[in-house]
Amino acid sequence: MNSAHPAVQLHQVTRVHGSKNTGVAALDNVSLTCPPGTWTAVMGPSGSGKSTLLHCAAGLDQVTSGRVLLAGHDITAAPDSVLTALRRRTIGFVFQTFNLISSLTAEQNVAFPAKLAGLRVSKRDVRAVLAGVGLADRATHRPRELSGGQQQRVAIARAMITRPAVLFADEPTGALDSASAKTVLALLRDMVRTAGQTILMVTHDPAVAASADTVIFLADGRIVDGLHAPTTHDVAERLAKLES
Amino acid sequence: MFQMSFSTFRERWELFAGAMLSVAVGVALVQASILVLAATGNPRIPPGLTRQQEDEVREGFVGAATVMGMTAFLAMFLAVFIVSSTFGFTVAQRRRDLALLRLTGGSRGQLRALLLSESLLLGVIGSGLGVPFGLVAQHVQIWLLIEIGLLPDGFTAPWRGWAAIVACVIGIGVALTGVFTASLRAARIRPLEALRETGKAARVMNTSRWLFGLSSAACTVAMIVWAQSTNLIGALLAALGISMCGAVAMSQLSPLVVPLTAWLLPGGLVRANLREGVRRSAATASPLIVLVALLLGLSGTFGSLAAAGGEEAKRSVNAQLVVTSTGEEAERLPAVEGIAVASRQNAVDITITAEVPDEGTTRYYSGIVAVDAADYARTHKLTPSAWNLAGLTGATVFTGPARHGDGINPGQVLSVDAAGQPLQLTVVGGLLETLEAGDSFLLPREVLPRHVWSGAPTETVVQVAPGQNPADVAQRIRQQGFGDVRTVAEWATARAKHAQDGNVEILIVLMGLAGLYALMAVVNAAVIAGTERRREFAVARVTGLTRRQVIASAVAEAVAVALIGVVLGCVVAGAGLAGIGAAVRKAIGVTVVDVPWALLAVVVIGSVAVVATTSGATAAVATRQRPVELVTAKE
Repeated sequence: MNSAHPAVQLHQVTRVHGSKNTGVAALDNVSLTCPPGTWTAVMGPSGSGKSTLLHCAAGLDQVTSGRVLLAGHDITAAPDSVLTALRRRTIGFVFQTFNLISSLTAEQNVAFPAKLAGLRVSKRDVRAVLAGVGLADRATHRPRELSGGQQQRVAIARAMITRPAVLFADEPTGALDSASAKTVLALLRDMVRTAGQTILMVTHDPAVAASADTVIFLADGRIVDGLHAPTTHDVAERLAKLES
Repeated sequence: MFQMSFSTFRERWELFAGAMLSVAVGVALVQASILVLAATGNPRIPPGLTRQQEDEVREGFVGAATVMGMTAFLAMFLAVFIVSSTFGFTVAQRRRDLALLRLTGGSRGQLRALLLSESLLLGVIGSGLGVPFGLVAQHVQIWLLIEIGLLPDGFTAPWRGWAAIVACVIGIGVALTGVFTASLRAARIRPLEALRETGKAARVMNTSRWLFGLSSAACTVAMIVWAQSTNLIGALLAALGISMCGAVAMSQLSPLVVPLTAWLLPGGLVRANLREGVRRSAATASPLIVLVALLLGLSGTFGSLAAAGGEEAKRSVNAQLVVTSTGEEAERLPAVEGIAVASRQNAVDITITAEVPDEGTTRYYSGIVAVDAADYARTHKLTPSAWNLAGLTGATVFTGPARHGDGINPGQVLSVDAAGQPLQLTVVGGLLETLEAGDSFLLPREVLPRHVWSGAPTETVVQVAPGQNPADVAQRIRQQGFGDVRTVAEWATARAKHAQDGNVEILIVLMGLAGLYALMAVVNAAVIAGTERRREFAVARVTGLTRRQVIASAVAEAVAVALIGVVLGCVVAGAGLAGIGAAVRKAIGVTVVDVPWALLAVVVIGSVAVVATTSGATAAVATRQRPVELVTAKE
């Protein structure tokens, strides 16, 4: 991956839902840069545009104006084939609902994106990644045989196997109990520290946001505030201010 | 990709079971039909039959071959239909899964490949099951064909390996054809849809539905228009075409038509559900539309043709009574008081050999009738196409309606073997084609030795003298010892009924098959819909409905859909019959249409019963779980 470039760069991005003149701006002139090896959390009240920001940054949604760069590649108007290639190698996703393929076992789920990309991954690599998320003994289980926390760790392992430049996470602990959430957050933290992983994460839980290096706050589609090295208390306070 | 297909298949086999079964039955029927067809190609005539009986056996073989051909074709048509609606349904259901594949880096091509390999798997398993099913189907088919008299007792069809291979290839082809549009649709799913909790409901009327629906509708309308102005053969083809195209059009457009028709129902939950669950209603209504359109269309067409043939026969004679006897007995008829003309027509057992342009030397054994030309001309209104019936004297012969198209021309000399006595007869004319096949040859009785016609089955067409009451004359004929005296109307009706009997029997074979398919499709739709509606049912119960009420409303909804399907199918069948009616009017001057009411009643009752039972059973299974578990359950 090209480490000279920022992992994610949004340049004056606007996303309007509906027609250009009468529509509602979900994102309004947002600029954001995530350097490699950093963890950025996006916070804001419901409807502030958090999810739209994530979708636009990951190339899942088209921006109305502005530019989006992923690891130095301009993806603003990229065709589907380029976006598909990006999803295979450059980016990974982790979501609130674990989005595993229910008919495949944990290790098949992990190996699947690589297979789609036509890469050969050895069973050992797959097992190693699963062991890395603490699921060495669950490799042959299907999603419904795993707990929520375990499913989320499989999803993280799946996102990590291709060593993507950016990991996009949407409420990764939203459906987990607090113990499982802690395990998952520690896992993400470890990936940023030791493997230099870049993470862009959306959450509305101040405790989760506090795990990140940087927190930005969105309101009505605009970035209105930011925090470095946040604590849960700081984040909660800023959020409360925004919502009042 | 294949691993993925395989595990999906294993995981969601109930989703594919219906389609797999329909491929298996399709393959079984194609294989059995090919084997029977191949065996009828080389008919083995049982020994000890008269030549006329041998001819009948041969005709039976041809009839059996036709039935088998139609069976194979119908099976394939319906299998494609069911596979494509199953995959259309699964794509809609698995939208999130498929979007997830795109999200994790799957390309559009890979998504298409996934569905194609799923259907390949379905085709292979279905075909694999189909081969042994085919052996059973073959026994049943042969038994049926013997039972309805098309094949002689003891008929067997030897096993041919290539038939199984052809059937399997067709089965796999059918599966792949069926999945085609669904795979295109799946490739258009956007990765973002994986992230939405409830992805925006896919439009049911997608481009391919519009495309297929409107083009089939256009074809149907074109054929309806054409059928109004063509001849009978054209109208027959049009009626079959209308039944098929119209059925496809109606079922493709059913997401529009079904909710529209639902306005006719009383309001409430049932109507609301019909309009909301458009895809589900369409999936249930489609097979019924196809079934009703094909069944009523085909049987109405054959019935109308037979009725028209009877009507034509009635109009073709200028007489009041028809007496059936032997040739010898019939000789006494002209002497009966009150009879103006008695045209005796002996079906003689002789052989005529002719050089036919396309087929070379051909021998004819049946449909050879000895007449007195003058009597025949006075009692029949057939227009000779060449020459005049008055020329039918001495060593001459007329070609009958059945030989009209064979190219046996006036002037040609035919060799005749009349019970060992050789004759040379010159063709002096021919009769025009009729709706019924009719006779093959007319020849003057005077050229035949008496013993040839004296024992032959004879129909005498009787014209009563002016001022005589036909009933009185009939009474006098009976008093002379003739048992079988009928009015022309009775005789024509009996002929039509006889002609239709064969068709009805053929239809029973096809009907059973089509019904079986429709049953599979309906059960398939109900099972898939049942799994889809688990949560909806739970919500309804949490809202205050009892389990019984939920099941009752599901059944009511399904019955309403079934009735709508039947009505729409009737519309299609009606369009086909209108064309037949117009063509018959042109051919014989009156509109004759035979609506198969009894069949319609059977279809309505049968489909409502099947739909009600399956939807009730699936709703009962789907509501077995406690509703609160489903309403609150995640993922």
